[in-house]
Amino acid sequence: MKIKISVTGGKGGTGKSTIAVNLAVSLLRYRDVVLADLDVEAPNDHILLGIRLTNEQPVKIMLPFIEYPKCIRCGVCAKVCDTGAIIITREKLPFIIPRLCSGCRACYFACPVSAIVEGQRIIGYTYHSKANTIHGSLDLITGVLREGEEHTPPVVLAARERAINIAKDVLLVDTSAGTANHVAIALEDSKLALAVTEPTPLGLHDLEMILELTERLGIETWVIVNRWGIEDTTRLEEVVRKYNSSIIVQIPYSREIIDSYIKGKPLVEVHPDHEISKIFYRLAKTISEVI
Amino acid sequence: MVLELVIASGKGGVGKSTLSSTLALYLAKQGYNVIAVDADADAPNLHLIYGIDRWEIEEDYREAWIAEIDYDKCTMCGICAEICSYKAIKLIDNRYVINTIICEGCLTCSLACPKKAIRRRQITSGKIRIAKTPYGFPLVSAKLNVGRPNSGKLVTEVKNRAKELAREDTIIVVDSAAGIGCQVISSLAGAHAAILVAEPTPASFSDLKRVHMVTKHFLLPTGLVINKYDLNPHYTRKILEYAKQEHMDVLGIIPYDDNVPKAMAKMKPLVELYPQSPASIALLRIVSKVEERVVKGWSEWFREYKPRKPVPYKPIILKPPNIGKG
Repeated sequence: MKIKISVTGGKGGTGKSTIAVNLAVSLLRYRDVVLADLDVEAPNDHILLGIRLTNEQPVKIMLPFIEYPKCIRCGVCAKVCDTGAIIITREKLPFIIPRLCSGCRACYFACPVSAIVEGQRIIGYTYHSKANTIHGSLDLITGVLREGEEHTPPVVLAARERAINIAKDVLLVDTSAGTANHVAIALEDSKLALAVTEPTPLGLHDLEMILELTERLGIETWVIVNRWGIEDTTRLEEVVRKYNSSIIVQIPYSREIIDSYIKGKPLVEVHPDHEISKIFYRLAKTISEVI
Repeated sequence: MVLELVIASGKGGVGKSTLSSTLALYLAKQGYNVIAVDADADAPNLHLIYGIDRWEIEEDYREAWIAEIDYDKCTMCGICAEICSYKAIKLIDNRYVINTIICEGCLTCSLACPKKAIRRRQITSGKIRIAKTPYGFPLVSAKLNVGRPNSGKLVTEVKNRAKELAREDTIIVVDSAAGIGCQVISSLAGAHAAILVAEPTPASFSDLKRVHMVTKHFLLPTGLVINKYDLNPHYTRKILEYAKQEHMDVLGIIPYDDNVPKAMAKMKPLVELYPQSPASIALLRIVSKVEERVVKGWSEWFREYKPRKPVPYKPIILKPPNIGKG
């Protein structure tokens, strides 16, 4: 049975990816794990694991093409397009701007004379790479949005599907920052979400937003406080209680974790006996017992 | 002219808000007419740095839609679930249910449903908020409700609000979201210059190159700031080399400083609270450089740092077979 666990957090730069890769490696000790990097705008898990992205597959979305001989110049296609990707020329003919098209196919269904045919546009890629870790081989699925493309959900969906297809036991998802719908897509169907935050008003503000999102998705959420000790956490604890969540782990500020981050090797591999590595192993053990 | 400067980084949490708040504050103190824009709609934080606890204007942003199924008309054919690009429609307990925190309201299911059982309803997807900062200049801030599409349109809207408030000589400082998606693209579209922030780590460098590609698509002259440079001086040199090759203006480097999170916790700009701390000194040097080079010397700076050759965005298109030439 596949169980999905997600690492998220709202604010950027709180340590989501660092925690995701360290937890993935630690979990390998107990379970068969696939890690999915669904932060398609800024994917970094492969960098933190020190590996290259391999086995590329394109992510294609529908791109409408007009069969002009059939077009009756009614303009309906442009009217139903929410993204402004279809403009009507002076001759009343529709003209497609690929960059703005989200591939939703509304125009395709709206055209009364079936003058729209489906082409495709590549907006990103998914990858399947393997990292050799101290606990064996870790499968990593990564979604990457092409620079200049705006629409993240199709790439998140494609990477999510690819990861689900190869996951046997546990699927660990690393989401992007923020709380928008592409984060909801990454989180959907998780058994458990781990919300990573830092004890600053900024981290707290965004944590509250992500707790609202996971609550609406009906996902049990545990809070991980990174850089514990830099500031007082009274307010943070109040917010966590308000959402019936709990602080499961406190990670102190540490130079070694930054060094391992820079080196591209997870801390649990470089310093398995480090105080923070032990925190990751304990968390992995707790998670593998709960699920 | 109105000058619109965008702070972006690709990676989150590297110091965008710290830099953008310092820049707006410094320019305002030098007597410029400044408007700060928080364009990070799903994690807006600038108001916390400025210590704003009340909005003077708070309007609903209603340019958003969501699909709704009329179950009296639904025949359970399942076409909607099949064609939804976002997989927002699922069969749950013998009913097709729309997940309202994924649905983008694109109208596709309404048009595809043979029984016309799906309509879309206009909803509030966020807020546009305006307040005067304690430092005299206004902040225009976007806030997206959780689970809403990552709306570039909302970012465009808050930028338009800022432009409505602007005078002829206003400097608009836009703090963009992390990443390279629609909010960042809307932040960069129509701007005059980008200032990118990076940390000396492989992850931040990789994300920097991605957002820089987008600034090149928009032909923007680009400056660079390296934050926490002393975490890894070797990597700092590597990023500086990249900046030189790519013809970015290196505006300065900032050391790691414990006072940065401390200032955040007190909801005050770092340069106000700890003006003598190492990061404050570096930041002030950087923003005064921005004033000298970018603001005062705009036409020379633009000529010097605009991308040498255009790097336009090119979509990768796969044509359908047998399409007639249009």
